[in-house]
Amino acid sequence: MTVAGAVFLFAWSGIYNVAASSGHWAVVDWFLAFGMRNSVALRARAIAVPPLDDIERVRLGAGHFHSGCAFCHGTPDTGVGPIARQMLPSPPELSKSVRTWSDAQLFWIVQNGIKYTGMPGWAALERTDEIWAVVAFLKKLPTLDGESYRALALGRVRLAEQSGERMATNDSNLQAAGACARCHGAGSSGPTSALVPVLHGQSRAYMVAALRAYAQGTRRSGIMQPLAADLDKESIERLATYYAGLSPTEPAHGSPSGADAHGRILATKGDPKRDIPACDTCHGRDRLPRYPRLAGQSAAFLAGQLRLWAAGHHTSTPGAALMAPIARRMSEADIDAVAAYFSGLSRLPAGGAP
Amino acid sequence: MHESHQASSSLRDPSRREEERRQLEAIWALPKGWRIVSAVNNTVIGYFYIGAAVLFFLLAGVLALLMRSQLALPGNTLLSPHTYNQVFTMHGTVMMFLFAVPAVEAMGILLLPQMLGARDLPFPRLGAFAFWAYFVGGLIFFGTLFFDLAPSGGWFMYPPLTSSHYSPDIGADFWLLGIGFIEISAIAGAIEIIVGVLRTRAPGMSLDKMPMFAWTMLTFAVMIVFAFPAVILATIMLELERTFGWPFFIAAKGGDALLWQHLFWFFGHPEVYIIFLPAAGMVSMIVPTMARAPLEAHMLIVLAIIATGFFSFGLWVHHMFTTGIPALSLSFFSAASMAVAIPSGIQVFAWIATIAAGKLRLDTPALFVLGFLFIFTLGGLTGVMVAMVPFDWQAHDTYFVVAHLHYVLIGGMVFPLFAAFYYWAPAFSSRALSERLGRWAFWLMFIGFNVAFLPMHVLGLQGMPRRVYTYPAELGWQTLNFVSTAGAFMLAAGVLVFIADLVCNLRPSLVSPAGNVWNSGTLEWLQNGLYGLRSIPHVETRYPLWQEQHLARDVEAARFYLPNAPTGTREAIVTSPIEAEPQYLLRLPGPGWPPALAALFTAAFFMLLTVKMIAMALGCGILAIAFILVWAWGSDPMPTDKVNIGAGLRLPTYVSGPRSHAWWAVVILLFVAGSLYLSFAFSYLYLWTVAPAAWAEAAKGGVPDGTFAFAAMGLLAVSSASMYAAEGQLRRSRAGFGLMVVLALLTLTGALVLELVGHWRSDLRPDASGYAALVYLASVLQFQIVAAVVVVGCYVLVRLAAGRLNSERRVTFDTLMLLSHYANAQGALGVLLVHGFPRAVA
Amino acid sequence: MRTHSRQAIGPLMAFVVAGCSGPQSVLHPAGPEALGLAHLTWFLFGFGALVLAFVLAAAAIAVRGPERWRAVVASRCMIIGAGVFFPAVSLTGLLGYGLWLTRASIPDTEGREPLQIEVTGEQWWWRVQYAPSTRSPVASANEIRVPAGRPIRFTLQSADVIHSFWVPNLAGKLDMIPGRATSLLVRAERTGVFRGQCAEYCGKAHALMALTVVVMTPTDFASWLENESRPAMEPDKPESRRGRSLFLEAGCGGCHTVRGTPAAGTIGPDLTHLGSRHSVGIASAAMNERNIARFMTDGQHMKPGNHMPTFRIFAAVELQAIATYLAGLR
Repeated sequence: MTVAGAVFLFAWSGIYNVAASSGHWAVVDWFLAFGMRNSVALRARAIAVPPLDDIERVRLGAGHFHSGCAFCHGTPDTGVGPIARQMLPSPPELSKSVRTWSDAQLFWIVQNGIKYTGMPGWAALERTDEIWAVVAFLKKLPTLDGESYRALALGRVRLAEQSGERMATNDSNLQAAGACARCHGAGSSGPTSALVPVLHGQSRAYMVAALRAYAQGTRRSGIMQPLAADLDKESIERLATYYAGLSPTEPAHGSPSGADAHGRILATKGDPKRDIPACDTCHGRDRLPRYPRLAGQSAAFLAGQLRLWAAGHHTSTPGAALMAPIARRMSEADIDAVAAYFSGLSRLPAGGAP
Repeated sequence: MHESHQASSSLRDPSRREEERRQLEAIWALPKGWRIVSAVNNTVIGYFYIGAAVLFFLLAGVLALLMRSQLALPGNTLLSPHTYNQVFTMHGTVMMFLFAVPAVEAMGILLLPQMLGARDLPFPRLGAFAFWAYFVGGLIFFGTLFFDLAPSGGWFMYPPLTSSHYSPDIGADFWLLGIGFIEISAIAGAIEIIVGVLRTRAPGMSLDKMPMFAWTMLTFAVMIVFAFPAVILATIMLELERTFGWPFFIAAKGGDALLWQHLFWFFGHPEVYIIFLPAAGMVSMIVPTMARAPLEAHMLIVLAIIATGFFSFGLWVHHMFTTGIPALSLSFFSAASMAVAIPSGIQVFAWIATIAAGKLRLDTPALFVLGFLFIFTLGGLTGVMVAMVPFDWQAHDTYFVVAHLHYVLIGGMVFPLFAAFYYWAPAFSSRALSERLGRWAFWLMFIGFNVAFLPMHVLGLQGMPRRVYTYPAELGWQTLNFVSTAGAFMLAAGVLVFIADLVCNLRPSLVSPAGNVWNSGTLEWLQNGLYGLRSIPHVETRYPLWQEQHLARDVEAARFYLPNAPTGTREAIVTSPIEAEPQYLLRLPGPGWPPALAALFTAAFFMLLTVKMIAMALGCGILAIAFILVWAWGSDPMPTDKVNIGAGLRLPTYVSGPRSHAWWAVVILLFVAGSLYLSFAFSYLYLWTVAPAAWAEAAKGGVPDGTFAFAAMGLLAVSSASMYAAEGQLRRSRAGFGLMVVLALLTLTGALVLELVGHWRSDLRPDASGYAALVYLASVLQFQIVAAVVVVGCYVLVRLAAGRLNSERRVTFDTLMLLSHYANAQGALGVLLVHGFPRAVA
Repeated sequence: MRTHSRQAIGPLMAFVVAGCSGPQSVLHPAGPEALGLAHLTWFLFGFGALVLAFVLAAAAIAVRGPERWRAVVASRCMIIGAGVFFPAVSLTGLLGYGLWLTRASIPDTEGREPLQIEVTGEQWWWRVQYAPSTRSPVASANEIRVPAGRPIRFTLQSADVIHSFWVPNLAGKLDMIPGRATSLLVRAERTGVFRGQCAEYCGKAHALMALTVVVMTPTDFASWLENESRPAMEPDKPESRRGRSLFLEAGCGGCHTVRGTPAAGTIGPDLTHLGSRHSVGIASAAMNERNIARFMTDGQHMKPGNHMPTFRIFAAVELQAIATYLAGLR
C-alpha cells in the first residue's frame, strides 16, 4: 500500500522529466535496452525461420522498406533523418545494427513493434509472409550501398527531374514517388518481385474493390493497407483504370512453363470428389468482371494467396468468403499446380476478360 | 469351531497385544499433510478414486444440463453447433470412461480388502499409479473443452467422420490418445482386482462364501481384460490412420469403416455390463442387510453374473443392426441380446425374493435400491424391445435409444451407486449421511430422472434422431423436450442435495468410522484401522457377523491370524483361489512417490504426443519408465525364513513360480496382450472378407519374401530356447544365465527387425492400402511387446549384477520369462498370419 | 411404494398416446413395412408394460404385502419361474415374431419391378437419382417423390462419411456406408408429404440433414417424372433471364447442374427443377425467393458448416434476379 502510494505521489508531482530531448541516464538506457533484448530473444526462440535468400522476397521487402521504414531508419545513402533522430530512443540505423539480431528476432520486432519506442507493429499481424519479406531485405541491407539500394527499392521507377513548379506545388514526397510502380511496375515494365501481383490488364472492377477493401482494412496487408488508406475514391478509380488499360507484359520473373497436367485439370474440370470446382467456372471467359483474371498472373503470388486462405486467414471480403472454403480443400500440390498453370497462360490484349 | 484357528491368545498378555497394535499402526501410518499424495493404502486411494469419479460425474452432468438447455426450445442458439457437438461427445466420453468404470473400480478398491478380510490389495502401488494416471489424464482431457480443442465425433468416434480428412482438428487425437491411456489405468485396476479377489481372501473364505460384490468385481475385471484391448487396438489404428495415413478405415484404399464399429462395439457392449455388474453386486450386498435376510439363490446369482459376463461378449452387433449386414447375423445377435435378459431377470427376482423373505427397512439405501429396480427393469424391457431387429430399425439412433441407455445406466449403475454411498458411508466416515437429506435427494432424483427420460421414448418414436443440436418447431417436439429439460434440472437438484449432504455430514475417517449402523453381516463392517482388521479371521460362513457369534470380539482381541507384523512391514496373507487356504505371507510396499510420478509422466507423454511435441513427449516417456523401474526395484524383497502368523501357522514369505501373485498378474497381463493381438487377427481376417482382392494380389507379389519369414521364425525359436536355457542356468545358479538372457533379447529384437526389413524390401508401404497397413500393424504390436521384454530384460540383468536375483529370489526373472515366451508366440503367430494366410487363400 | 406402479403406468400411456401422428413419426405409418413396425411397437409396449407391472407388483408385495404372498415371492419357484422360465419362453416367442417380421419387411414385389432410386448421402444433403428402366436416369436432390402402391428399391451409398437414410413413416432406417451400397425395399400406400432425417451423426450440420419424401398417385408421379427429366424451363420474365446470365457468369455452374444450360457441375445439388421442391437447403426453409436469396448470402447461418460458400458479391437487384430465376425453375 505504501509503495503504491509513493509511486502515485511521484507521478502526480510531475518531478520526473519526460522530455525526449533530455535523453535517458546511461544506466537507464542500458537497463531498458538490456530488458528489451532479452524479451525479444525469449519470444523469438520458438519462431521457425524459413529460407530467406529468395530474391523475390528481398524485392518485396525493399519496396515496403522504402515507404514504410526509411523515414525513421534511413537508407544507405541518407542515414536516419533529422526528425527521426530526435526520437527517444532514436531509431537505429539498420544497415549497421541489423547484424546484431538473429532472423527470428528481426521477424518478431517487425511483427510486433517495441513498447515505449516508436517502432510500430505490423498493420496485418497474420501476414507473416510479408514480414519475412521485410526480414529478407533487412538481411541484405548491410551489403547495399546507395545505388544498389535504389535499384532494389525503386524498381524501374526513375525519379524524373521535376521542374521547380512541380516540386513546389506537387504534394508528392520524392521518396515515395511513383508509389505503385515501385513494386507493381507501370507502362511496359512489370512487377519487381514475383511475390507482387501483376496488375497490367487486370479487371478494373476487381482492382477497385480490392483497393477499397485494403483502405477499409477488410483485406489485410501490412504493405497495402497504409498505402491504400491514403487514396480517396477518385484516385482509386483512376489508378484502377490506368492499370486495367495497360497491355499485359511478359512475366518479369520467368514463371514455369505451366504445362502441368494436374493444374490444367483442376483449372478446367476441378475435382468433384473433393468438392473443388474448376477455377475457370469463375475465373474463365465470360465471367463476372468482379472476379480477378488469373491468366499470366505470377505463380508465387497465386500460390501465396491460396495458402493464406487455406491457413484460415479469413479476411472479411466477399471474395475471401468464396475462396477460403475452396482453398482449404486444396492440397499443397494442388495449389502449386494451378498457380503454375495460370502463370503459364498468356494474357489476352488489354480491355478485360482473357 | 474357530477356536482351533485362534492364536494361543489367552496366554498373550494385554501389554504385548497393545505393543503389536501400535506396531501395526506405525507400519500402516499415512504420510502427513500434502504428502498424502504418495500414499498407497487402498482406503486412501479408494477415497481419492471415488472423489475423482464423482467430480467427473458432476462435470459431465453439467454438460448434460447444457445440452438439455439447448434442446429445450426449437431453433435455440444457446450453443453453437460446433460447441454442442463437442459437449455431447464429451458428455458421453466422460461419463463412460471417466465416471462409470472408475466409480465402480473405486468402490472395489475401497471395499474389497475390507470385505475379504485382507489388509490391502496385492499391488498397492499399481492401484496408486492407476488412480493418478486416470486423474491427471482425465483432467487434461476434460480441459480441452475450455480451449475449443475437445473432440466432436461422438463418444464412439466413427470413422470416416473422425479421419483426418473430415476431422482435421486435434480434438479427435485428444480422444484417441487420452482415452487410450485411461484404459491402461482401468486394466491396471483390473489386474489388481482379479489377483486380490482370488488370492488374498481371509483364510476359510472359500469361493462359495465369498460376498457377491467380490464375485461381480471379479467378473468385471475379467471382462475388462478381454474387452478393453479391442478398443485399445481400434484407437491405435485410428491414430495411425490420422497421423501417418495408414488406411484401415478408408474404403477407397482397401479399408472398411465397419471394422471400427466391430472393434469398438466388441468393447462397447461388454463395457455396459462392466458398468452394471459391480452395481448389481453392490445391490446384492445392500439388500440382505436392509431386508435383514441372507441373499436368496446365492449360487444361482453367481451363475447369472458369470453368464452375463460371458454372454455379453456375443452381443456387439446389435449396435450395428442398421448397417446392412446379412439377416442370419442379425438373427443370431438378436437372439443373444434377448438371452442376456435372463440372467438379469434371475438377479431381479432373487433380490425381490430376498426382500420378501425378510423385512425391508426403508432407509435411504433401500429407497435407492427400489428406485433402481423400477428404472432398471423398465430399461431392461426397452432393451428387449431394441433387441428386436425390426423395431431397432426404427428406434436405432433416435431418442428412444437415448432413453433406453439412460434407464439402464442411471437406473442400473447410478442409483445403486448412490445407495452404496448412503450404505457404506458409516464404514468410512465418522458420521453417517443424513436420512432426511437422503430422502430428498432420492425423490428429486427419481422423479426428475423419470420426467427427464420417459418422454424421450416418445420423442424417438416421433422421429427425433440422436446427436442433433436443434430441431424445427413444426414437428411438435418442443413440449416433450421442454418437459425433459425440466426433469433434467430436477435430477440435478437431487444430486446437489446429495452433494450438500456430503459436505455437511461426510467426515472421512479410516480409524474411527461410525460403524455398523445397519447391522450388516459382512466383514467390511468390522472395526477397521488403517491396517484393516486387528487380526485376520478364519471365516466359515457367508455372513460372518450374523452367523459367527463372537467373531467381532475375537478379531479385536487379536485371536486370529496376523495380529502383528512378523516381518516388520505391511503384510497380507495370500490364500489359495478356491478354498482360501493360507499359502504365504505377502510383504506389501508402503507409501512412495514413484507411482504418482510415473503416472504424471505417463499422462504427460500421451498428452504431449497429441500436441505433436515429440521430443518432450519422449523425454516424459523415458522418465515414466524410469520411475516405474525405481518402483519395481523396491519390490521383490529378499526371501526370509518362514514366519509365524499366529494360530500356530508358519508361512513362507517368498514364493516364485505359478503360485506367486506376481506370476498371476503377469499372466493376466498376457491375456490382455493376447486379446489385443487377437483383435488384430480379427481385423486382418475381417478386411480380407471385405476386400479379398488385396490379399490375392498380395499373394501374387506383394507378400514379403518367404526367406524373411523363415529367418524370423528361426530367430524366435532361438530366443525361446535361450530363455528356456536361461531359466535352467538360473535354477542351477550357473554363470551362463546373463548370456542366455542377452541372447534371447537380441534374437527377439532381431526377428522384429527382420520382419520389418522384409516388408520394406518387398515395396510394401503401410499408407498404400488397408492390407499393407495391417501387415505393418502386426509389427507395431510386436514392437510394443518386444520393447517391454527388452526393458524388463535389462532390468533383470541389472538386478543380477546388484545381487538381487538368484535361484531362489527369481520373481523378476519369472516375469521376464513369461513375457518373453509370450512375445515369441505372438511373433510366430504374426509371421504365420502375414506370410502364410495370403498364400493359403490364393 | 405400491403407488409407484400406478403413478408410472398412467403417464406412460398418456405420453404414448399423445405423440402418435406426425410427418416423421414411427407410429403414423404410410406403408406396409412401417405398418408392421408400428404394430410391433404397440405390441412391445404392451408386453413391456405387463412385465413391468408384474415386477413392480412382486416388489410391492415383497416390501409390504401380506405374509402368505410374501412367502410365494420369496420362494425358489418364483425366482426360477419368473427369472428363467418366463423370460425364456416369452423371449423365444418374441424372437420368433421378430424373425418373421424381419423377413416380412422385405416387401413382396408381386412380380412388379421395383422403381430404382439411388440416394447418395453427402455432407449434409441427399443426392438423388431416379433410374427407371424406361428412360435415362433423372438427377435431383434433397427431395424424393415416389408413386404410391408400387415397390421402390432405394440403393443407398455415401460420398463421404457414414449417413443413415430414415423415413419413419415408410420404413426402418438403413445406413449409408462409404465403399458399400445397401438396399432398402419399400412400398408407400398413403399419399402425402413425409419427412425423413439422417440418423447417423455425420458432422456439424447433421441436425439439419432432413429429407422430404412426397408420395403421389402413380399418374401424378409419372407426369412429374416426365417433367423432371426435361431440361430447365426457359425463363419468361426479363428479370429471370438476367438472373440466368448472372447465374452462369458468377460461376454457379461449377458446382451445380441446370440441365439445358452450360451449368453442369456435380459438386452440389442439381438445381434443374429447384422451384418445384418444397424447401431450400434445409427442410425448415420453405421454397420461395427470399429463402433462396438468404441461402446464397447467409447460408452459413442457415446451415452452419455447409459446403457452399456465401455469395456476398451481388448487389441487391442482382441477387433478386438470380432468386427469381431459380424459383422459377419448376
